Amino acid sequence: MSSGTSISKNRQAPSLQGVDPETCMIVFRTHWAQVLKILEKHDPLKNTQAKYGAISPDEASTVQNYVEHMLFLLIEEQAKDASMGPILEFVVSENIMEKLFLWSLRREFTDETKIEQLKMYEMLVTQSHQPLLHHKPILKPLMMLLSSCSGTATSTVETELVVLLNQLCSIIAKDPSILELFFHTSEDQGAANFLIFSLLIPFIHREGTVGQQARDALLFIMSLSAENNVVANHIAENTYFCPVLATGLSGLYSSLPTKLEEKGEEWHCLLKDDWLLSPALVQFMNSLEFCNAVIQVAHPLIRNQLVNYIYNGFLVPVMAPALHKATVEEVMTTTAYLDLFLRSVSEPALLKIFLHFILLHRHENVHILDTLTSRINTPFRLCVVSLALFRTLIGLHCEDVMLQLVLRYLIPCNHMMLSQRWAVKERDCYSASAAKLLALTPVCCSTGITLTLESQGKDYILWTKAAQTKDSGRRSSESTCIVEYGKAVDISYLQYLGEAQEAILQCLKDCKVWSALYDGVNPDPDTFIQTLAEENSTDVEHPMFRLQQRTPSMCSSSQVTPFGEKMQLELEWDDSYDTGISPGSDVSLPQPYDDLGNTEMQPPAQPPKHIQEMKKSAIMLIKGSYIEESDFQDDVMVYRLCAQKDTQDDDNTKEKTSNAAREHEVQSQTVVNGPLAKSQLEMDLDEHSKRNSSSTQGVMKEQINQKMTEIDPQPDLELKLSPQEADRNLSVRLLSTDGEDFIAQYDKIIKELDPNSASLEEQKLDTLIPVSPAEEEEDFENFSADTPSAESMPSPFGLKEDISPKHAARSQSAPFTGPFISVVLSKLENMLENSLHVNLLLIGIITQLASYPQPLLRSFLLNTNMVFQPSVRSLYQVLASVKNKIEHFASVEKDFPGLLLEAQQYLLFRVDMSDDAEELLTKGNVQHSSNTGKGRNLSEAYPAVLQPFLGQKGKKGLAHPGLPVHVRNAVLAAALFPEFLKELAALAQEHSILCYKILGDFEDYY
Amino acid sequence: MNPFWSMSTSSVRKRPDTEEKTLSGELRTSPLRASTKKQLPSIPKNAVPITKPASPAAASQSTNGTHASYGPFYLEYSLLAEFTLVVKQKLPGVYVQPSYRSALMWFGVIFIRHGLYQDGVFKFTVYIPDNYPDGDCPRLVFDLPVFHPLVDPLSGELDVKRAFAKWRRNHNHIWQVLMYARRVFYKIDTTSPLNPEAAVLYEKDVQLFKSKVVDSVKLCSSHLFDQPKIEDPYAIVFSPWNPAIHDEAREKMLTQKKKPEDQHCKSMHVSGLSWVKPGSVQPFSKEEKTMPT
Repeated sequence: MSSGTSISKNRQAPSLQGVDPETCMIVFRTHWAQVLKILEKHDPLKNTQAKYGAISPDEASTVQNYVEHMLFLLIEEQAKDASMGPILEFVVSENIMEKLFLWSLRREFTDETKIEQLKMYEMLVTQSHQPLLHHKPILKPLMMLLSSCSGTATSTVETELVVLLNQLCSIIAKDPSILELFFHTSEDQGAANFLIFSLLIPFIHREGTVGQQARDALLFIMSLSAENNVVANHIAENTYFCPVLATGLSGLYSSLPTKLEEKGEEWHCLLKDDWLLSPALVQFMNSLEFCNAVIQVAHPLIRNQLVNYIYNGFLVPVMAPALHKATVEEVMTTTAYLDLFLRSVSEPALLKIFLHFILLHRHENVHILDTLTSRINTPFRLCVVSLALFRTLIGLHCEDVMLQLVLRYLIPCNHMMLSQRWAVKERDCYSASAAKLLALTPVCCSTGITLTLESQGKDYILWTKAAQTKDSGRRSSESTCIVEYGKAVDISYLQYLGEAQEAILQCLKDCKVWSALYDGVNPDPDTFIQTLAEENSTDVEHPMFRLQQRTPSMCSSSQVTPFGEKMQLELEWDDSYDTGISPGSDVSLPQPYDDLGNTEMQPPAQPPKHIQEMKKSAIMLIKGSYIEESDFQDDVMVYRLCAQKDTQDDDNTKEKTSNAAREHEVQSQTVVNGPLAKSQLEMDLDEHSKRNSSSTQGVMKEQINQKMTEIDPQPDLELKLSPQEADRNLSVRLLSTDGEDFIAQYDKIIKELDPNSASLEEQKLDTLIPVSPAEEEEDFENFSADTPSAESMPSPFGLKEDISPKHAARSQSAPFTGPFISVVLSKLENMLENSLHVNLLLIGIITQLASYPQPLLRSFLLNTNMVFQPSVRSLYQVLASVKNKIEHFASVEKDFPGLLLEAQQYLLFRVDMSDDAEELLTKGNVQHSSNTGKGRNLSEAYPAVLQPFLGQKGKKGLAHPGLPVHVRNAVLAAALFPEFLKELAALAQEHSILCYKILGDFEDYY
Repeated sequence: MNPFWSMSTSSVRKRPDTEEKTLSGELRTSPLRASTKKQLPSIPKNAVPITKPASPAAASQSTNGTHASYGPFYLEYSLLAEFTLVVKQKLPGVYVQPSYRSALMWFGVIFIRHGLYQDGVFKFTVYIPDNYPDGDCPRLVFDLPVFHPLVDPLSGELDVKRAFAKWRRNHNHIWQVLMYARRVFYKIDTTSPLNPEAAVLYEKDVQLFKSKVVDSVKLCSSHLFDQPKIEDPYAIVFSPWNPAIHDEAREKMLTQKKKPEDQHCKSMHVSGLSWVKPGSVQPFSKEEKTMPT
């Protein structure tokens, strides 16, 4: 029986209330005298025979009993003023605690004794009426006890140890003066400073209550460190706290399931309900949450160190390779994890490195962001998960994200006609854009269910006190809407307006801290291009992460030198890799490096994973992905390829072809006064690279090769591309893109080569139907202008001006709205083929984008009167195309009205379920109280009507189970489309009446 | 400057002052809009799903219906956009407020701070045609016919048409009408007057004109506390200084200048993410404020 427990039992019984303190003192002294007698009997210094005489159980229990009473007296002693009470003074002067500790050491120092002692101290420090830890004679034996418990403790001891440590930390947090003493005592010990802290570190990642208590205790110290530089320095310089924490994440991550169990068709992101079921994930999330909390409270020194370790010890060496795993399944899982992490992290400093990682880190020379973007176009579930991730990213309202994703492509303003620049800031005073958007509602969709008001006996409809629901009742006055009696009013539209206002205001609020207005003037379009070129030539990594190179870091792979990048650029893709890959063969891909391993030393023969994946998706692309015409026009190469193919068809001999190629090499050598001789094809590539990141040249080359193998069955066709000088200055990263538009081009080539292909038929469809109502002002000519204009179609191997610097300059600033916009719009254009949940996510993303108040974004997405460059595809054009597709579909499908009605009913049914879903979604966020106002709750991002993914609950009423998938998808899309238009129109209208001038005090207003 | 008027500036209040007490300070709210939105139930209770017939005839009809049903929204938002433009203009001494009943009717008051009409406080109502912005120009009628060459002595209507012969959408805005209404009191125009007497007097006998103006100003002032001409919860109502109500509002207005900064600091921590250095276009270009040394 341990004394600790018995003490706590006894303690409750007697009360010392009213007992004379002197009496207590006398009792204490006599008890101690008894104890001391026994102690001295066994003290080898005092008694030479002590060594040999075993301690009898009797003696042990006698000591225990006395000690119990003594401790009780000590605890109950009330101190007068600041002075010690007599008992405490006696304890201190007699060094009683140390003697007792030595006694327990002399007995067998078993786990039980340790627990006994730990409990004793815990009771002392928590229950004593006077501060005890200030006294060295008490503190010192405590520290000795603690250090004796470190290391080889069993779980029961650990439990007690952590409880005590937790108590100590909370005491220190309340009274920081004790902290000094802890430091000094441990100096005496000669052991590591700040023992309590070091003892806690091993428990950081522990699961269960022990881990939780340890983390809580550490947080006490962390918040202490914010005030105390000594502590902060000590932790940062002398302990392994940060590395343990960060690498622990890596360790825990590696034990996460690499595949998620099938969660149903609609599953697209990990909600709390999902991850609570996985113990490994719970443990990881606990640690991540702890990191978040540490960063929140700790000293900047610790915060920065931890953040750097997480970046270099977790994100770069673990997450990056995990995002590039071999199978789609694994990649999808990682993406879902990343999304979950992003949603869970609330501290800006931590979020910053996650975003830095996504936006700027390059894995095998490709930005993570580009890789993620390219995955939207895959036909797998991966697409949905990636979309969900982007939804999270966009919902952060973070300037850096939006800059990288969209805005940098819009800043130069060359997506619009020069004459239109003034219109960027223009407001749509008369809701003209909204009207045009709503006018896109297909005629066939206006049948079916419309929510209208029951007729009322009033001249106008009063929306009176209707909203007791969400708004906290702050606005209780009545108001009206000028809707006259008898007119059908689409009340769902009112709801969209309300939600649009909320979304815009939230976004506006968050964007107040942004560095620029993005209104076509600030940042200045012209200086933007210049500075970008300059900044690019130096190509600086962020100083924060460069600094990291000096400190020993977990990983070596993070620091890819510019030189290394260049080396990789010059790698060639081997044709042999093109042959083996077929749609289903992802498993067969060898994996040349392990997850945590070294990614630098990648064998040159192996194309990077993402390239393989892109290629796979290129092959698997069922329907045409859409490209911006500019890509096409500028992309002389594609045509050259066709031309080359023609010539090959003509003489169909390998020699001739290679001769031709050699000829061009010669030609270009003479013509181009560039630093390096380049083949004609390379020049094209180069030209292309002016718009694209150099890495994509690899993709391109690969596709060329692939193309070649397809065009010409001769396996040993030699169209070797000589190592290429990557012109870093020209390949402006601003215009970096990734593979998907090449994939699109690839698709186009197939189209052209094979007139019977499905995509061509689709294309025909487009042209058959009159594209737009007569009222449209837009020039729809360019809509289906798949055929390039004469000037952009160079004669094979031809025109020199195509490669002249002049042309280069033009193509460098060629209108391009960025890979993300283009991939999202292309996906949207295929709305009828997409499944419901893909469409819901797409709609969510686009409405999120359209909620941003930045004039550049707003004018691009919502201003239907804006005149863009012919090569730029606007949202409006895409919507018009979808409209036509729906109308065509309605005319072909026999029972369209009936199906539409069912689809609408199904969607309404989903709305009914949305409240539950909202809960689910918000629960998924591990938000810290200080940061809840961020608008990152997914549910806030888009309206209830389109609330997707009601998860398990929404399943029962699945629409049209009997229908073929493509019909079902199309009908659901048709039902969704008008709602989407309303949502956009509502956003356009709300934007038009926002008073940006009064931004400063719109809180009153909201 | 008459202290009474400067006081009454802050004493302008609305009757249903459950919200937006700050009308006189800065018209920064569009009550109509704000409340329209906020009143909406998440799922309308009085809504009924209507299944429209699917016959072609009905379909075409319902197309019209669809468009018609959004018409009011366009109109309302056009007017609200106009209203935000008015707010943006910050016309000195001019305040307007859309009525509760209809966005097509705005109540206003204009304070003349110097010139012949100094100390004048004129309430007025703006009537906007319901085919706005494609119709005629809005009408502006003073509650009491001010003695002025361009104000009809009987109806109190200001001759707006002379300034906006043809109302052109995108070019003409309601704030211009308000600016015009203010300007006529500073720069007097006597050509083709609605009040020939005033015009003639101004030309021939300025002293008499001035005294008539003073009388008119006094008359308007004496009726200032009258009930508004048009019964409406959002009508502009003046009341004598009441410390219980007005002191607090005044205090708030006077302290408002400091507030934005505080709020700014606060909101920096709460929300919004940006690591872009101003002037740079590179992500994460901002330097850490608390870089350890």
